[in-house]
Amino acid sequence: MKLDNEFKILVQNYIVGRVTERELEQLNLRLARDPEARRYFNELLNLDSALAEVAAGQISDYEQPVEQLNNFQSTDSQTTDCQECTTSYSNIDSPFDSKSESRQFFTARRILVVASFILLVSGTWWWQTPPQVFATIISAAGIEGPTEGSVLRNEMITIEKGSLELVTKNGARIAIEAPAEFRFESAQRLHMKRGRLAADVPPSAKGFTVVTPTGEAVDLGTKFGVDIPSQGNAEIHVFEGEVIAQSSGGGKRLSLRDGEAFQLQAGAGSSRALRSSAFIRPGEVASLRAALEEGQHAKSNQFLVTLRNDPALIALLDFETEDLPAGTYRMTQGRWPGSHAPEFVNVGDHMKLDVGGKQAWPQITLAAWVRIDQLGEPFQSFLHTDGWGEQEGQLHWMVTHHTTMRLALYGNALVPSSTNRDVYPDSQTPVLPQQGRWVHLAVVYDSDAGTVRFYFNGKLDKEERQEVAHPARLGPGQIGNWDLRDRKLSGRMDELLILGRAMTAAQVDALYKVGTPYR
Amino acid sequence: MSDGNQDHHQQFLRAFTTHEPAVRAFVRRLVPTRADADDILQEVAIVLWEKYEEFREGEDFKAWACGIARYKVLSWLRDKGRDRLVLNTEVVELIAKESLRDEPHLHKQRIALEACLEKVPPTDRILLAQAYQSDVKIQDIAETSGRSVGGLYQWLYRMRQILLECIQRNIAQESSV
Repeated sequence: MKLDNEFKILVQNYIVGRVTERELEQLNLRLARDPEARRYFNELLNLDSALAEVAAGQISDYEQPVEQLNNFQSTDSQTTDCQECTTSYSNIDSPFDSKSESRQFFTARRILVVASFILLVSGTWWWQTPPQVFATIISAAGIEGPTEGSVLRNEMITIEKGSLELVTKNGARIAIEAPAEFRFESAQRLHMKRGRLAADVPPSAKGFTVVTPTGEAVDLGTKFGVDIPSQGNAEIHVFEGEVIAQSSGGGKRLSLRDGEAFQLQAGAGSSRALRSSAFIRPGEVASLRAALEEGQHAKSNQFLVTLRNDPALIALLDFETEDLPAGTYRMTQGRWPGSHAPEFVNVGDHMKLDVGGKQAWPQITLAAWVRIDQLGEPFQSFLHTDGWGEQEGQLHWMVTHHTTMRLALYGNALVPSSTNRDVYPDSQTPVLPQQGRWVHLAVVYDSDAGTVRFYFNGKLDKEERQEVAHPARLGPGQIGNWDLRDRKLSGRMDELLILGRAMTAAQVDALYKVGTPYR
Repeated sequence: MSDGNQDHHQQFLRAFTTHEPAVRAFVRRLVPTRADADDILQEVAIVLWEKYEEFREGEDFKAWACGIARYKVLSWLRDKGRDRLVLNTEVVELIAKESLRDEPHLHKQRIALEACLEKVPPTDRILLAQAYQSDVKIQDIAETSGRSVGGLYQWLYRMRQILLECIQRNIAQESSV
């Protein structure tokens, strides 16, 4: 072997953990470039492993079934030319005695070694008694694989659609939304590779920990959510109580309290705005499941066909096609298992739309299913047309900083008798986040009648009258961020409907009832 | 537990026991220390058991196990690489590829170790075995053997070098017969 001694010493130092950063870099370079160096490296580490195996009492590497190993009789009596060694054949009782008796002993012992480290990890003699149960699934909505009543041990669970709720042995209730991949390491430790989780942790499960690829969240008796996107860093959102956030790679431990959120990054992390509605909460899954059992998903799909054939249809976006509008947003699960909905998180997130052309629309209905994260400032923008300020009737649909729903048309004016606090029509009731659930919002505008009607979950909330009422105009616009100062959207939107006619109260109610994912 | 399950467990145990040294050596070649290899091997064993239902009779268990071990090592390197001195992922991938290719040869080398160890004087064999026990402090071994820590490292370096050369000669002789 034509290798310099210096390199051999470098490898020898490496295998006992005695290299400096600079030496490691030298080793990297040499190994990357020199096949002979790699051969030596491989052989020396191979020897190192075999020596450890022998020292542990596992003296042979005869790759035969156990029974054959047990019956093995040594035929290896040839002498080896080891010039540097002083050969001795005395029958000493050494750890390296390779007689057949010890081989049998060590073979039996090897089985115990294998079994014992599985014991160490799983915490049980897995081939004699079933592994411990860490959690039980109590609700499953549209998932494939585990069913309600399934017990979870330490197996990896992957769900590509739907959601589930489980209870750990210590009583923590956890809702998980697909796509997700997770495994319980114990009843108090959940390893999650991707997915969204919301946990209600009672005092009996205090210390419950969620381990993510970029850090972990340790509960101190609380309600919290963890979002682990397929790409990007995990985030912790605390709804109530206190959670300790610990980024991987030596990041500082940080205490998070009610309403705080934090992004876990290797060696660091950063504060985030709370996304209260981004998580399906414990309790919600059962309601989702009941609706699926009643065939709500199929009914909703059938109704979409009817809407698509409506002569007054301007746009119906269910976000299920591949040619989605341009913009900055991410796709998440919609109301139904495996369906899709755009999610807007950051201030600049938006989806571009160009619908309705240059036509004037004397009547218009806007409706959508939404999960909105934060109410109050800034404005949550559902649909803002770009021609605002240039053409009368250009339309802005949003939730205001007062948390009410608003439909503003450029150039319109309220009747003087209106008690509305602003110059544009607003709903009476705040848009309640309803513990983060999906809500159906609709607004019906009739310029001929001079009315704006607001509906929450199919129910009329308020009618506002307009003294000046231009026909609505659409054209280029967007969902989400409209200007960087105060118009954003934080949440998901599913099934945006724009109709060029005024839906009646009964039609809006039917639209809600046929589309609700809850029972 | 049903008989079917028990058979399944026994099959797994038999296959894993048979190939464990090869998988352990494979992992060892990719990570800095034996302790790291031990940690990873424990995780690999769990995954192998979890996925054993997917393993089809007649497939190469060793190749299957090393494939899973490779992923575990790469993920370990990603996790630990930030605060530990580990080899570049590209280099590790290259070593993994070549060591799988050379496994028949490396297997022979592991077998040949036994014969070469028989040539080592008993006192040295015992010292070597002590130094290779897991969870052992090299300072303690140095002290009981009357050597300095540096001296013991030097001695271990020489022993490994001697054994490797003995193994290489042994195999060369076998193939020339």
